[in-house]
Amino acid sequence: MTVWQDSRAMPGVRRETFSPYGYLFFFVGTAVTAILAREARVALVLLGTVGFAALFRAPALRLLGRRQLWLFIIPTLLLSPLVLGEPDLYLWRLHLSQEGFWAGLWMVSRALSIALAAMLFAQAVSVSQMAGLLEGMRLRGLGFALGVATNMLPTIQETIQTSYQAMRLRGGFRSHRLRTVKLLLVTVIAGSLRRGDDIVSAAEARAFDPARPHQSSISLVPADLVLAAWFGVLAVALLLV
Amino acid sequence: MKFSVRELVYVAIFGAIWGALELTVGSYLHVIFPPLADTFLVGLLMASLGAIVALIGRRFVPRIGSVLMISIVAAILKMISIGGVTVGPLVAILAEGLLMELGLIIARRPTRWAFVFAGALAVAWNFFHKFIMMYILFGKGVYEVYVGMVQQGASLLRIDLSYALLIIVILFLFRIVAGAVSGWIAWDLGRVVHDRLAR
Repeated sequence: MTVWQDSRAMPGVRRETFSPYGYLFFFVGTAVTAILAREARVALVLLGTVGFAALFRAPALRLLGRRQLWLFIIPTLLLSPLVLGEPDLYLWRLHLSQEGFWAGLWMVSRALSIALAAMLFAQAVSVSQMAGLLEGMRLRGLGFALGVATNMLPTIQETIQTSYQAMRLRGGFRSHRLRTVKLLLVTVIAGSLRRGDDIVSAAEARAFDPARPHQSSISLVPADLVLAAWFGVLAVALLLV
Repeated sequence: MKFSVRELVYVAIFGAIWGALELTVGSYLHVIFPPLADTFLVGLLMASLGAIVALIGRRFVPRIGSVLMISIVAAILKMISIGGVTVGPLVAILAEGLLMELGLIIARRPTRWAFVFAGALAVAWNFFHKFIMMYILFGKGVYEVYVGMVQQGASLLRIDLSYALLIIVILFLFRIVAGAVSGWIAWDLGRVVHDRLAR
């Protein structure tokens, strides 16, 4: 059952305007328009992305508060007038380029638009919905594999860390480093495959058959189509203008 | 193509291992070497690791499409990670998966040399990745990336900047060799894992 359908069934819970397809269209549409938009037009794409996020998925804007993001933005903005374009400005004993400054600003806007759209998609669409989207796109079995992978990820991460610490404490990385890395990989893979056998037994016990068609519970809503059409028009306009 | 339950679980496991390596080793390396400063080392290392894991996966799921599925699972896990969405690795994982699959389809039979070919194709993507991502994210042209790559390569290889073409060829060949070695290692490790499970 999708979030959209969940919310409809439960009064008092905010109903989603878009289905997971809508958020997928938004992610792909933003990426395409950000690539097509040149110079100042990228700022409009960024503005639109921020506006959409603020209206429909405000938690995605937390991305703007991340230190790593500013560690990327600030150096790019500071360095671009120094390294890009022809210097045409002398300021504080530095030869700067106005063209470089604007180029840096558009670079940051483009990267930020795509990152924000991806963040919004990742926040709005749960793993089970992503699995549903994959099944809906006739990628049979991939949804099941994604569900299993998501459940196994913490265990695998723990296995990697435990095995790494065990090998490090035995002095494995002091000599024969490549051999140790290979052994680490073999240990992690063999251990994970053994655990995988339990999942196979459980799935088979429940008569799970990946060949059986599963009807995707996610369906398009009118707002998704409006969004897709909007991005289509925008992309054509950017290509023509 | 129909995958059995066991094959799908194996696809999930190898996708999760690739994803876990991206989330732990990849994130750690990207912090040590920020993406704009050094895409060569981090990209090369992560592409090689990913190729090894996916190709070992192919030994356990010997079907067309399995490597691509492993890469899709790894990419989605990377996307939904707590560390936040980074578009570069996402594109790289999918492209590498696609190229490995293509290499294995061309080679027809899963042999050691097919793995070497697929690994070389996958890691070779790392060379073109910078051009494509710089265009997508920053709108930079091919020439600007080329100049940056030559400068970076010149300081890395300690070769004079005037040998630009030689630098580019060496950087490209370095990736091909790294990928081929990954394929070679994957073939051996696949057998080791197989033997260990059979015990």
